[in-house]
Amino acid sequence: MSLASGPGVAGSLSLPEELQLAIEPHVKYIQSLDSRRDELEYWLTEHLRLNGLYWGLTALHLLGRPDALPRDQTIQFVLSCQHENGGFGAAPGHDAHLLYTCSAIQILAMIDAFDVLDEKGKGEGGGREGVGKYISSLQNQTTGTFAGDEWGEEDTRFIYTALNALSLLSMLDIVNVDRAVEYIISCENFDGGYGVSPAAESHSGQIFACLGALSIANRMDTVNVDKLGRWLSERQVEAGGLNGRPEKQEDVCYSWWVASSLTMIHKLHWIDGKKLTNFILKCQDPKEGGFADRPGDMVDVFHTCFGVAGLALLEFPGLEEIDAR
Amino acid sequence: MASHGVARPATTILRSAEELQAEQAEIREYQDLENRIQANIAARNYTVEVLELTSKLLKKNPEYYTIWNVRRRLLIYGLFSKSSDSSSPSKGSQSTSPIVTTQTSSIPSSASALGTLKALDATQLDPESPNHGKNGTILDIIRADLEFLFPIMIKYPKCYWLWNYRLWLLQQANERLDPGITRGLWEREMILVGKMLVKDSRNFHGWGYRRKVVSELESEKLHGRSMVEPEFEYTTKMIHGQNGLSNFSAWHRRSKLIPRLLEERNADDATRRHFLKDEFDLVISAMYTDSYPYAQSAWFYYQFLMTTLTEYIGHATITPNFTQVGRIEYVGCQLSILKEMLDGAEDCKWIYDALVEYTMTLARMEERELCEGEREDCKLWLVELSKLDVLRTGRWDDLGLIFSKSP
Repeated sequence: MSLASGPGVAGSLSLPEELQLAIEPHVKYIQSLDSRRDELEYWLTEHLRLNGLYWGLTALHLLGRPDALPRDQTIQFVLSCQHENGGFGAAPGHDAHLLYTCSAIQILAMIDAFDVLDEKGKGEGGGREGVGKYISSLQNQTTGTFAGDEWGEEDTRFIYTALNALSLLSMLDIVNVDRAVEYIISCENFDGGYGVSPAAESHSGQIFACLGALSIANRMDTVNVDKLGRWLSERQVEAGGLNGRPEKQEDVCYSWWVASSLTMIHKLHWIDGKKLTNFILKCQDPKEGGFADRPGDMVDVFHTCFGVAGLALLEFPGLEEIDAR
Repeated sequence: MASHGVARPATTILRSAEELQAEQAEIREYQDLENRIQANIAARNYTVEVLELTSKLLKKNPEYYTIWNVRRRLLIYGLFSKSSDSSSPSKGSQSTSPIVTTQTSSIPSSASALGTLKALDATQLDPESPNHGKNGTILDIIRADLEFLFPIMIKYPKCYWLWNYRLWLLQQANERLDPGITRGLWEREMILVGKMLVKDSRNFHGWGYRRKVVSELESEKLHGRSMVEPEFEYTTKMIHGQNGLSNFSAWHRRSKLIPRLLEERNADDATRRHFLKDEFDLVISAMYTDSYPYAQSAWFYYQFLMTTLTEYIGHATITPNFTQVGRIEYVGCQLSILKEMLDGAEDCKWIYDALVEYTMTLARMEERELCEGEREDCKLWLVELSKLDVLRTGRWDDLGLIFSKSP
């Protein structure tokens, strides 16, 4: 899976009034990504390979083409990224980190391959247990938050990735969920949003992570829905797209981070879904496939995933339903 | 991500045979570098030469997090223990690594601390000298690494791994060097992060890093004291700088500093009340200049100030000893100010939004239903909001439901 951008460019063709989703080109674009080994950028983005696979596969599932990537090769690649400690790296030879461990578990869950993990997985106890133990070892017992890896960086994103992976593995009980929830609450700001850590500015990506974690922990009761809904709805700009923070530029990826957050608090109708849909569609390259952050920019698989996911959330016809809650 | 905001060149990427060849050569060179590093690490060659190889690779690709980890291992297991100010080889774990400090009874005597001080002087005298030389001190190594990072950070200011690695380096200094020397390193970080925030005043990595640097400099272990006053000053400066009023990051930081600032000033009730008024004046005057009154950052800060009055229990407060009557009076005054603001700014949705919100809040604080006049006002304001802000029609409709119910 190449993380290299292009070759397509968003909105390069004159688009018809009634915008269409170019499903086939998007599928082909994702399928072609691993055949770009002659490009330097393919190698420079190896540190995102496993995430890239997750993004590509998620988009394919939403596009109704879950079998468009070979299942066996996918499983083989995912398992080749696992370390003896049970964690996964971005690619073979890359260090284990929670971000990639979550992607690995999400991929294996998506293609229903936990049995292969149980058979061949590494880590203490092997299989699902091996991965679970790696994740639980990263929880800070005092504060409840999680480190990304052995070097100790902490960020609310890691609480989400830990709880998400553990919930998919049905192993939430091996960590202290209550304490993690307390930590998230300590990151809440006056505007109802959440940042990377206590005292950090509200950021839509972190809000998605914190709400996702609270949702998994079944603690959405702690959220200040009206304030957060107000702040999140103000992320929509005139062009129809969403930004991540006040007075920043819009970007297709926030079509997921913001819109799914609004969905989690039952306020998706507080933004203009039709305008957002049009903005997302303008960010696709209808001929070569793929989505970019904004019209006119190079496409890549990250924005392709979150563009398609945004459309699915907005119930765009032809896409699989998505349950953000 | 590799392609945030990357515009495509006008011509499609049709590369000549030479260009294709050059790219293949570049790929080979890159992979060769990667292989050499991996082979050396596998052979536990924790040397300066290998460190230089990682430098070369990381300059090409600072997102390669594994190589930053390799670099950490090179320092911990190799270079720190081989440095001229360490007396025994490290056994690998941080706790057994040589620590240079005058406060532990293990090795380092004050003499070695003096040596390190001299090294500091030497590096300050000669800016060219810091390098990863074989006989450098731990301080030399850390300083050289910090300098190595700077141009890469300028080029890739949003790369998480870079900021993390930098913090890790400084934490190594905390563990291994004399607090007096380490403090000097952290002080220089204030200059660095200041520069980064001048380049991009909204970089949230920068703001986060600044909070960490400040908390280190304030810490007891570095003989620090509170920096809340200069930090508060800094937010004032940022807000008054170019596009400052739209700098929500600065407003946000300000909101977090205020409670501590007043505490440390031992502010009495009158001072606090005056302070609150000054903040309202600041944000309202901010609304009246620049892109008045449409910039949402100032309006969110306005929301913060109001929150200190309306939701003071369990939240940041500026005037803790205000009576409920006093708070209600204050909110009422703000409602009058907002109504005045509408004059000449009838197309500013933020004013209507605030009017609706604080009219409801006022009734809630007075533990009563909305009166008929308020209800009618709110309905009219919502009509304006629906006209001015069609993107958020769903929100205005939801609010409308509250007022359509019979009292």
